[in-house]
Amino acid sequence: MGNFFSYIVQGTAITVAVTLVALPFGLILGLLMALVHTYGGKILNRGAAAYSLLLRGVPPIVLLFILYFILSGRFINLSPFWAGSFSLGIVSSAYQMEILRGALLSVGGGQMTAARAIGMSRVQSIRYIVLPQALRLAIPPWSNEVSIVLKDSSLVYALGVPEILRRAQQLSATTQDPFLAYGTAALIYFVLVFATNRALDYLSERTKLPTHP
Amino acid sequence: MKRILVVVTLLVAASLVLSACGGGAAANHLEAIKEAGVIKVGTSADYPPFESVDESGNKVGFDIDLMTEIAKRLDVKLEWVDMPFDSLIAAVQEGKIDASISAFNYNEDRDKMIDFSEAYYTSEDAFTVADGFTGTIVNPEDVAAYKVGVQTGTTQDGWLTDTLVADGTLPEENLFRYDRVDQAMLDLQNGRIEVMMSDYIPAQALAKQLGGLEIVYHGVLSSGPMNIVIPDGDAELQQAIDEIIKQLQAEGFIDGLAVKYFAE
Repeated sequence: MGNFFSYIVQGTAITVAVTLVALPFGLILGLLMALVHTYGGKILNRGAAAYSLLLRGVPPIVLLFILYFILSGRFINLSPFWAGSFSLGIVSSAYQMEILRGALLSVGGGQMTAARAIGMSRVQSIRYIVLPQALRLAIPPWSNEVSIVLKDSSLVYALGVPEILRRAQQLSATTQDPFLAYGTAALIYFVLVFATNRALDYLSERTKLPTHP
Repeated sequence: MKRILVVVTLLVAASLVLSACGGGAAANHLEAIKEAGVIKVGTSADYPPFESVDESGNKVGFDIDLMTEIAKRLDVKLEWVDMPFDSLIAAVQEGKIDASISAFNYNEDRDKMIDFSEAYYTSEDAFTVADGFTGTIVNPEDVAAYKVGVQTGTTQDGWLTDTLVADGTLPEENLFRYDRVDQAMLDLQNGRIEVMMSDYIPAQALAKQLGGLEIVYHGVLSSGPMNIVIPDGDAELQQAIDEIIKQLQAEGFIDGLAVKYFAE
């Protein structure tokens, strides 16, 4: 029984790895799209809006199957782990884009005007004035997205990546004890989400600017 | 936008590097497998005793042992790919895995999308009674008149529950569910139950081993022939696997596996 427990716990490393690929990938993509949506011209703005609308309208598992079963092998060759992680990252990028867009907009427009008035270029103003404030403001809503990606990472089991949920399924079948197997899985997810949220709360508190309540 | 293009290009390039690219152009799928020296076989390791994981996470079971022997005779290494059952056929169709063994029953709809090997095992069901049993069992439905034993969660359990218990002929309190077939057979000997329904091959083995037991009926009731799933139109791989299955059946290897996995 002790071994069984450790078999599920080993899945935690895979769950964390999937999250560590999907989340930063989604953050970079989401940040780019948020900047394009906020500061890009009319056409780019529309494109970014369409990107967000489309991806938020598709269930993650559908995108996962499309990327792995349909696209992968024909155009690019992805292992289940990478196909799953990238799909989750792409879906997450749309949500992260909306979070970051909200944060960018909440930094008053006057600051941009002031930065330009003292001779900063547009890019400089974004880089040194708007973005540092916006990223701080984005932490609390972003921590919500972190827990969603962490829990959605269980979807990669459909491609055969042996993360926590898949291992719990196997143990439930072998031991005929679903309560123990799924209970263990639930507990691990809870601990992971709880720990990351507390860490982000701390980060948010530490990086808070005196000008923001 | 230029930056996005650069990022996307980099990501695509990275993913190409990260993933293993397929080998050169082999004459057919079987040749490609032999050239690579490895066959990727999908299974859904949550269906004991056919396929499951043991305490250390190793794959064990009837199908696992069988495929290991088939790979050995194909002279290639075996790489297991564990997936949920629902994903297996799509994975074979899309070439993600070379074949799949997961207690698949032949099915016409599935046959349109993929091909099946020869049946490697036909799980027949048997009714076993103790010596001195005075009743008569001609048709399978006749067991409803007696106290019936079965292993919990097996296809036989499903058959008894869905047919005899569901239509009311077998009262629920006359159906005795056991964790293990051998325990049930001992209760049969002792007269606590009158009929035991189980897989045919293990029933034969246990009847011989325990003594005082007799199989009064056998036939395909609760499941059917099991086949390995291979890609559609893959004649060479199909032929190679079929030949090995025939050899293994002739050598008694498969019957041995049935005794090993279904008798306890």
